[in-house]
Formats: sequence, C-alpha cells, structure tokens
Amino acid sequence: MFVDFFYLLKKVGIPVSPTSFLRLQKALNMGLVNSVDDFYTAARSILVKSERYFDLYDQVFAHRFQGVALKESEAVEISEVARALLEEWLKNPRELADLLGIKEEDLSKLTPEELLQYFLDRLKEQTEAHHGGGKWIGTGGTSPVGHSGYHPGGMRVGGISRNKSAVKVAMERRYRDYSQEGPLTESQMGEALKRLRNMVPHGPKDRVNIDETIYETMKNAGEIEIVFDQSLRDRLKVILAIDNGGWSMDPYIGLVQTLFNYARSQFKELKTFFFHNTIYDHLWEDPHRRSKPFPLDELIRLDPETRFIIIGDASMAPYELLSTDGSIYVGERSGKPSYMRLEFIVKTFPHSVWLNPVPPVEWAYTRTILHIQEIFPMFELTLDGLEKAVSHIMRKN
Amino acid sequence: MNKAIQNRTFTGGSKYVLDEELAKIVNISIALEMPLLLKGEPGTGKTMLAHAIAEALQLRLIVLNVKSSMKLIDALYQYDTLTRLNDSRFGDSKRDVSNIEEYIRMGKIGQGFNSEEKVVLLIDEIDKADTDFQDDMLDVLDQMEFDIIEIDKTIRAKNRPVIIITSNAKKDLSDPFLGRCNFHHIAFPEPDMMRRIVAVHFSDIDKELMESAVRTFYRLREIKSIEKKPATRELINWIRALRSDPDFRVKDLVKGEVPYLGILYKKSPDYAVAQNAVGRFRA
Repeated sequence: MFVDFFYLLKKVGIPVSPTSFLRLQKALNMGLVNSVDDFYTAARSILVKSERYFDLYDQVFAHRFQGVALKESEAVEISEVARALLEEWLKNPRELADLLGIKEEDLSKLTPEELLQYFLDRLKEQTEAHHGGGKWIGTGGTSPVGHSGYHPGGMRVGGISRNKSAVKVAMERRYRDYSQEGPLTESQMGEALKRLRNMVPHGPKDRVNIDETIYETMKNAGEIEIVFDQSLRDRLKVILAIDNGGWSMDPYIGLVQTLFNYARSQFKELKTFFFHNTIYDHLWEDPHRRSKPFPLDELIRLDPETRFIIIGDASMAPYELLSTDGSIYVGERSGKPSYMRLEFIVKTFPHSVWLNPVPPVEWAYTRTILHIQEIFPMFELTLDGLEKAVSHIMRKN
Repeated sequence: MNKAIQNRTFTGGSKYVLDEELAKIVNISIALEMPLLLKGEPGTGKTMLAHAIAEALQLRLIVLNVKSSMKLIDALYQYDTLTRLNDSRFGDSKRDVSNIEEYIRMGKIGQGFNSEEKVVLLIDEIDKADTDFQDDMLDVLDQMEFDIIEIDKTIRAKNRPVIIITSNAKKDLSDPFLGRCNFHHIAFPEPDMMRRIVAVHFSDIDKELMESAVRTFYRLREIKSIEKKPATRELINWIRALRSDPDFRVKDLVKGEVPYLGILYKKSPDYAVAQNAVGRFRA
C-alpha cells in the first residue's frame, strides 16, 4: 500500500527508510489512520525526520494525491536566480511592469509566485530566442534574502491552516522556510558556531578524579588518596575579520552582524577586525575603519593557534587584489599587493578560512573569488558551509 | 490497566492549547510505542507538551534534563563509589559494603524503566549532549533495557514509557537515532493560535488588551538582528506585568509604546536593538 508514494519520496531526495515504511504499515493496520488527513500527519511524522524535508514532503503529497506537478530540478536552479533578480526589480515596480509589458496595476494583483512564473515563462522564451541567455543571468549579484516588502501587492503571509483538507494544507507549502534552501537564521548560526570549541585543562586542580582516586587508594592499601584534576575550559582564540565596506556587501550586513553578535558570546577570546573588500597593511578595530588601525604585521605576535575567520564576498576589481598599490585608500602604500598580504595571514595562522555569502554557483564568474580561493579555503556562508568551515579549522593539523 | 491507558487518547491539558495535527501525532506515537522527537524554536511548547500528556493521561512524568557534559550512564544509573569507599573505610553505615547493589542509584531513565506504572519520560533538549549520548541511547530505547555492569544485572522496562524527546537544534540528530523516533516540528504559533494560548493562561483577559498585546508582540518579533526572539513564555510574562501595572493603559500599546521591554528581551544587545526599533514604532 502506498509503495509508489514511498518511492516517490525517496526519489525526490527525502531520506526515508524501509523500516519506517513498515512502521507506517503497522500504523495503518492498527486502524489509527482513518482519513487522508490522518495519513498526511501520520506518514509525515513516521517517515520524515527533519523539518527541512517537510516542504518537499508537502510537494510530493500534493502531487500524489492531487496531481499537482512536481517541480523539476533544473527549474529550481533557474528560479532561484530569477527570484533574486526579480526581487531586485521589485524595488521599482514600474520598470518591471514596462519590461514585462504589463500594467503596474495588473502586476500588483499577481502573487509573487504567479509573478515569478510569469517571469520564468518570459525567460524561457528569451533563452530560446537568443543562445547564450545563460550569461545574462550570471550578472545578478544580488541577495536572495530580504527585500520582499517591495512587492506592490505585499508578500502573502501564511495564515492559520486548520479545517482544511490535507491536500490543501500540503499545497500551501507552510514549511518552505525550513527547507534546505532557506536562508541562514540567527539560531542556526549559534548552533554551528557552538562546535568551535577547544577544551583544554586550565586553572586550579579542584576536580576530584574518582577513577584515579579509587585506583590510588587501592594501591595505597585502602588508605584514602584523593586525586585532583584541573577542570576543562574553552581556550580557543578566534579572530574574525569582516568585510563591512562597499555596496557589494550591503545585502549581507544583517547576516554578518548577527554572526558577529553570536560570536561575541561564544568565545573567551575574540578579536574582531574590519576591512573593505580585501586586506592591505591594516585591519581596523572600529567598524568605521577610521580611528583604530591595527598593523597587519603585528599579527605575527599573536598565537599561531588562533583561528582566523574572514567573512567577505571577495568580489572586487582585480587590480585591488593584484596590483602593488591596489588599495582604494591613499594611506596604504606599502608596495605589497593584497594577495601577498592574504598569503601572509594564511602562513601566520594555519587554521584560517574565508566565509563567502555569495552562493558557490556564482564563484566561478568572479575572478577575485577564484584567486582568493587559491589562497584561503573558502566556504559558503550557509549552515552547511559554516559547519564545513568549523570542522576545517578544528582539524588537528 | 495497561490496555486502558492504550485506549485513552490525548486531547490536551488544562494549560495547553493543542494543535489538532500534533494531537494525532502524539496518539500515533503512543499507539506505536515509539519515542516522539519534537523540534522547534524555543517557546513553542515542546516541554509543555510532555507535561500536558502526563496530565491528560494521568501518568507520572519523569524529566531528564540533558546537560552538555552528560554521559548516558548518568541517565541510567549511578554507582556511588565515593559512599562505598567511605563506608568501607569507616564502616559506620547500615549498608552492606560487599553488596554493590546497595550503592546503585537509578537515573531518570532507570526510574522510568523500574516504575510499576506506565510513565511519561521527557528527555529534554537532547541536542545539548554530544552525539555519543544519542548514539548510546539508541539501544536502550530500542530494547527498552540496559545492563548494570557492576552487578551484571539487566534492567528491563516494566512498562514501556511514553517517551518525548525535545531538541532545539537546527542541525539534525544522527540518522540511526532519527530512524527510531517519530518526528514533528512545532512551528511558531500563528497569531490566532497565540490568542487561544493567551486566553488559556488569562481566562479573564480584556479583549482589547489581548488584541494589542498580541499584535505588538508579533511586530516585535519582526525586528531584525535579534539573537533571542521573544517567545510564548515571554509574552505570557509580559502580559502578566502589563496587567499588574495600575498605570498601564491599553492605548499606550496602540500608540506604539512598549513598556517592560526587558521582559521580552533578556540579552543586553537585543534589548538595545529592540529599544531602538520601538522608538521607530512611535514615529
């Protein structure tokens, strides 16, 4: 029963196990499931083990029980890029309306989904007409997060969904925000950063080591010998360097700020520096990059075990990275190009990473990202990327 | 007795507003005798659910609060070596030093297994412990038994407890662990649901106050760059504070003033950000 439903779930990439499927059968046999609604909840709770797949589950469910079309994987990719572009455009609805050849009033009647679909249809025509339409898409360096308030009709906020059929509920896709494509939130970041811990014995010997105590006492023929240990403390030092300048980082500043807030509560020793685009002779201790310069050469005096994390989009004009006087600030003219400075940082701190808020699919289109990638291990600033970055800098050697 | 409990279904507690979907999941999990893993952001009532189940089914609730340094064995049983060492040295207690069993104390899971009656076992915030803890717990929950190595004795669950596991973590627990649980993610309550929750806590609440408080609350939750967003618990406490203040007028909320912001935001950077944003409400 429902075997094809099970295989469909498996096919779209939800990790479902045969055991759980058998368990669902058991629930069915026990007479616990009496309607499609019951089946929707029961099957989800038994088969799907993470809210990240709830959205996919909803889609499959709607497809299987209502014949709603499943979106294909290619469509996903293009729609993400399109969505980003679209959101940029929605800041100026008139322009968009002109471009799509519809009236602004009509535009405001469309939901963002419909609008996107309309836009995608146009886009398909476009690619068919000119080859090389893909290049055109690559130019969008805008953030897919936020800005949704610009749509003239306003974004639809999911209402309470009771007393509706399960298929309707599934079609509403309430869990889209939790799906894997969703943006990184504050608490997710905290979770990932928690793994950045390095426990070492520290402080006075004030913990009783019971096993040792018993062993030593026995060796002492029963005369009690109490053994003390130092307690474990987190002694990890972290330097965070944040690119907070320029319009190219603007869309990510909120994200980076939260990351920075989290980091502050997370570590014993955390230094935060700021820079613009890339690093030359100085890092700045103040976010305005004016009053408190920190000479880069001083870094060598710090503990090489320090974890050095750079957050930036690594996108700039190539000369800023490569030329000997690349800095857009006149004061910085040591004659060393920025890429040599970055190499210096990696050499000083073997545990360093670069976190990039730009999605990896776009990395190949920006020359400076490619170049910096050769110097720094680069990870995407998402939950996944953050976790990979953390495990990378926590490696022993 | 046992049968009677199985036939009883869970329909909500006196202080808990139950979502229909969640009720189904709880009842299926009880019937299948599967642990139910609940995820969701803080303040969505994960822990409260276990309390409500215990209350509704009239079962004893045993809470295991997981701590980061916890080993599974702490949750199962403790072998009190220090007392035994002390007794053997001074010999002034009534315990029989040669009988190790007298120095074994049951942990929370052990108590649940040993109980003569069916219990509700809440394993709270399992993500706090490291993955070893979860992996070790698998077999125990699967087999419903564990061994006490010191006295070579197996403790088997007399009655399979109703197990509720909660997790705040956004990252997934290990696959084998998930495979042995039913899963539900509790989304943050919609305003309508929230009104019902508030009504359960304050049965005599003024309509106008509830309306403006809930509206302001959801507006506050929209503020960006907040580390710990206010949750249900904060809202309840906040309303309690508003009601106990004789100078408070509902109109102030409508005007965009938010008194007692400190109840909603407990971290100083958050408080500062929120205060700033609230300033803009008025403008």
